[in-house]
Amino acid sequence: MNAQACFHCGEANPDSAPILARVQGRQHAVCCPGCKAAAEWIETLGLADYYRLRSGPAQRHDGVADHAAWDRPALARLHVRSTSADRAQVIVLVDGLRCSACAWLIERALRGIDGVLDVGVNALARRVSLEFDPRRIKLSSLLAALSRLGYVPHPLTAGMIDSQRQRESRAALKRLVVAGLGTMQAMMMAVALYAGVFDGIDPAVREFFRWIGFLVATPVVLYSAQPFFRGAVREWRARRLSMDTPVALAIALIYLASMINVFVGGHEIYFDSVSMFVLFLLLGRHLAMRARHRAGDVVDALARLQPVLAERREAAGYTTIAVHELEAGDIVRVGSGAAIPADGELLGPRCRIDESLLSGESTPIAREPGQALIAGSLVIDGPIEVIVRHIGADTVLAGIVRMVTRAASERPALARLADARAARFVVRVLAATLITALAWAWFDPGRALPAALAVLVVSCPCAFALAVPSALTRAVAVLAQRGVLVVDADALEALARADRFIFDKTGTLTEPNFERARVEVIRGSLEQALGIAAALEQSNSHPLGLALRRAGASAPLKTATALRHVQGAGVEGDIEGIRYRLGRADFSLHAPGADTAGDGDALVLADPDGVIARFPPSEQLRPAAATLIRSLGDAGIKCEILSGDRAARVAHIAGLLAIDEFTAAASPVDKLARLAVLRAQGHVVAMVGDGINDAPVLAAADVAIAIGEGSAMAHAASGILLASSRLESLLEARHVAAEMLVRLKQNLNWALAYNLSAVPLAALGFVPPWLAAIGMSASSIVVILNSLRIGRHATAWPDAPRPVSEAVA
Amino acid sequence: MNIILLLIPISLVLLGVGIWAFFWAVNHAQFDDLDTPSLTPLSEDRPAAPDAEEP
Repeated sequence: MNAQACFHCGEANPDSAPILARVQGRQHAVCCPGCKAAAEWIETLGLADYYRLRSGPAQRHDGVADHAAWDRPALARLHVRSTSADRAQVIVLVDGLRCSACAWLIERALRGIDGVLDVGVNALARRVSLEFDPRRIKLSSLLAALSRLGYVPHPLTAGMIDSQRQRESRAALKRLVVAGLGTMQAMMMAVALYAGVFDGIDPAVREFFRWIGFLVATPVVLYSAQPFFRGAVREWRARRLSMDTPVALAIALIYLASMINVFVGGHEIYFDSVSMFVLFLLLGRHLAMRARHRAGDVVDALARLQPVLAERREAAGYTTIAVHELEAGDIVRVGSGAAIPADGELLGPRCRIDESLLSGESTPIAREPGQALIAGSLVIDGPIEVIVRHIGADTVLAGIVRMVTRAASERPALARLADARAARFVVRVLAATLITALAWAWFDPGRALPAALAVLVVSCPCAFALAVPSALTRAVAVLAQRGVLVVDADALEALARADRFIFDKTGTLTEPNFERARVEVIRGSLEQALGIAAALEQSNSHPLGLALRRAGASAPLKTATALRHVQGAGVEGDIEGIRYRLGRADFSLHAPGADTAGDGDALVLADPDGVIARFPPSEQLRPAAATLIRSLGDAGIKCEILSGDRAARVAHIAGLLAIDEFTAAASPVDKLARLAVLRAQGHVVAMVGDGINDAPVLAAADVAIAIGEGSAMAHAASGILLASSRLESLLEARHVAAEMLVRLKQNLNWALAYNLSAVPLAALGFVPPWLAAIGMSASSIVVILNSLRIGRHATAWPDAPRPVSEAVA
Repeated sequence: MNIILLLIPISLVLLGVGIWAFFWAVNHAQFDDLDTPSLTPLSEDRPAAPDAEEP
C-alpha cells in the first residue's frame, strides 16, 4: 500500500504532520483523526486481520454521527421487532459494506459488544441483522458501533424487513423440493408397474407398489400443490376463471381417481403424472417469484431515499423527531445536502433543490418561498425551512414506490396471455374428458374411467403452461450473463418488435471528455492545472470527474486533503496548503452569478485569489456507438436522437453517426410529445438513455433501456438495463429477444399440435397408460429443451473500440 | 424379491428424514443467502501474528 494513501480508507494523506495509527505493531499513516480512531478501534478488538482480508479500501471515516434520536420510542417501535422482553431484532442496511472482509469485521466487532445476542451479515444484500437485549444495550449504541467501524447504518422499518418475502421464498423452496422428491419416488413406482405390465408381476407386489405410489404422491398433492388449491378457491370466490382453477381441478381429479382405483383395485393410477404436473408448475412459479424478488430490491433503494429523521421547529428551538411523527402544518428545518422529509412548501430562504428523483433532471432547480417541494429531493444550499403539507403515504415519493411495487408484482403480458390460453385449453380438456367418459359409459362402461383419465393425462397443460415462462426465463438468464438486466419481462417482447430506436445523446451515445487543447489556463501552466484538478476529483465517480482524472493522468501527481464534495456544485480541497475549489463557476468563486465569461457549463478551478483555469467539457462518442447505429440500420430500424443539448452539438454527433433525424434542445415535455407522435403512427419505440436525465421519458416508451449504473430511478423507469455500459450489448439483447419470440411461438405451436393429435387418440381408447404418461412428460421436455436453445448461438460482437469512433468531439 | 417389501419402506423413511433435514435447514436460514457464506472460510477466526511486511 502506498504510504501517501490512508491506511484505512485509501484517500491521500496530508503532507504535513502525518497522523499515525498503530496497527499490528506498526505505525501506519492515515488521512484524518476519524480514520485513526477507526483503525485503532479495529486493532483493539483484535480484528486487524481485516486489513489483510479486504478487497477494497474502507469508507472514509468522517467522525461519528449522533444516533441518539434512534432511541425515541416512536422510532424504535417502527424499526425494532421485540421477540421477548430481553430479545429484540433490527435489520440494518449498511452503506459501505463492500466485501466479505467487511462482513467478517462487522460480525466480529458487534459480537464482542455486551448485550448483542446474534449478528448476521449478508454482504450481497448489504444487510446486517442484529439481535440484542434492549435492557443491556440501546439501538443507538449499536448504530454508533457500526459508524465507528466506518459504515453508515440505515435501520430498515418493519415494513421493509423482507420477512414476508423471506417466508414466501422459503415456503416455495420447501414445496418445490417436496414435489421433486415425491415425483422421483412416484415415477420409480410407476416404472416398476409399467414393467410389470409387460413382464408380469406378482399381484401382491403390484398392490404394494400402488400403495407406495399413493403414499409418496399424497404430500405432493396435499402440501406442494396447496398454492393451486388456494388460488382456485380465491378465483372461485372472485367468480373469475383463471389458470389455478383448471389446474387445481385436474390435480384433484387425477389424484382422487387414482386413489379410488387404489382402494377398489381399479386399473389406472396416475400418481407419477400428477406429481410431475405439480413439480413442473411449481418450477415455473418459482422462477417467476425469484425474478419478482430481485425487482423488490429496487423498491428498497427508492424507499431509502426518504429520510427517517426530521428537525421540527418547536417553541424551544429544533427537535429531532422521526419523520412519521410529523404532521401537516409542522415546520421543519433541512440542512445543506440533506433530503427533504415530507412534501411541503418552502418557507424560506430561496434555495436550489436537486429533484433528480422525480424529474430526472440533475441540474438543481431554484425554488422561491411558497413553492412546493417534494420529499426525497436534496437541498443544495440550506438550511431552509419547510412547511409540511403531505406526509407518509401521501407523498410523491411514496407514490413512485407504490408504482414500482405494482409494476414488479405484475405478471408480464406474455405470461398472462399464455396463462389464459392454458386455462382455456384445460377447460376444453375437462370437457373432452367428460364427453369421453359419457360416450364410453354408453358403449362400454368398463372402459369409461380409463379412457377419460387417459385424456386427462395425455393432454399436457404443462406444455402450455411452460411454453412462455421457460422461454422468458431462459432469455432473461442468458442476457443477465452478458450484462443486460431485464427488469420488466414485457420489455423483451417490445424490444424484439421495436422498429424505432431513440437515443439520448449525453451519456448514451457520447461520454464526457476534456480536451487538453481546449482548457483555458488563466494562471500557471496547463500541467499544473490538470494535476490539481485530477487530485481534487480523485474520489469522484461522476462521469465528469472520471473524465477529468483521465485528462490529468499525465500531469505531475498531487494529493489533495480535506476533500469536501458539495452535491450539484463541485469539490473543494487543500493541496500544498492552498484551498482550491473546482466546480460550477458560482461555487468555485464563492459568488452566485459570477463568471459569465466562456461557456456556462465549464468547470472552473479557483483558489482564493481567483480563477486558475476553465475546463470546457467536450464529448467523445462511446466506442461502440457507430457499430450499433450501423447494425440497427442494417436491420431496417430507424434511429433518431432526442437531446436536451444545443442544436450544433447534436447535429455534429448525428452527422458522425449518419443519423438524419434528430431533435435538439428538447425539454422532457418535448421528448414526451415526440414519443407520443411516433407511437400514434404505430411505431414500437425503444428509448435508450442514461436513465438519470430521462426517467419520465424512458417510462413513456414501449421499451426503455438505460445504460450504465444510473440512479435508483433509472432501474425503476427502465425495462432493460445495460449494466456493462457496453453499447453493443444492446444488439445482443435484441437478438436474444427476437430469438425468444421465435422459440416461444414454436413452443405454443408444438403444445397445440401435440395435444390436438394425442387427445383424440386417447379419447378413442388407443393410448395405453404408460404411453400417455410418457407422451405428457415428453411434450413438456420438448418445450423446455427448445427454450434452452435460446442464446446457444451467441453472436460475437467486436469488443475493441473501432477506429472510426475514436475521439471525436 | 420379498426383500423390496422391507427396502422400499426403509428408503421412504430415509426420504422422510431427508425432507425433515431440508425443512430444518430452510427454516434456519441456510438457503436465504447462498453467496456470502462461501467466502467466510477464507477469513481467519483469530487475529494472525503481526505481519513482518507491509500488509
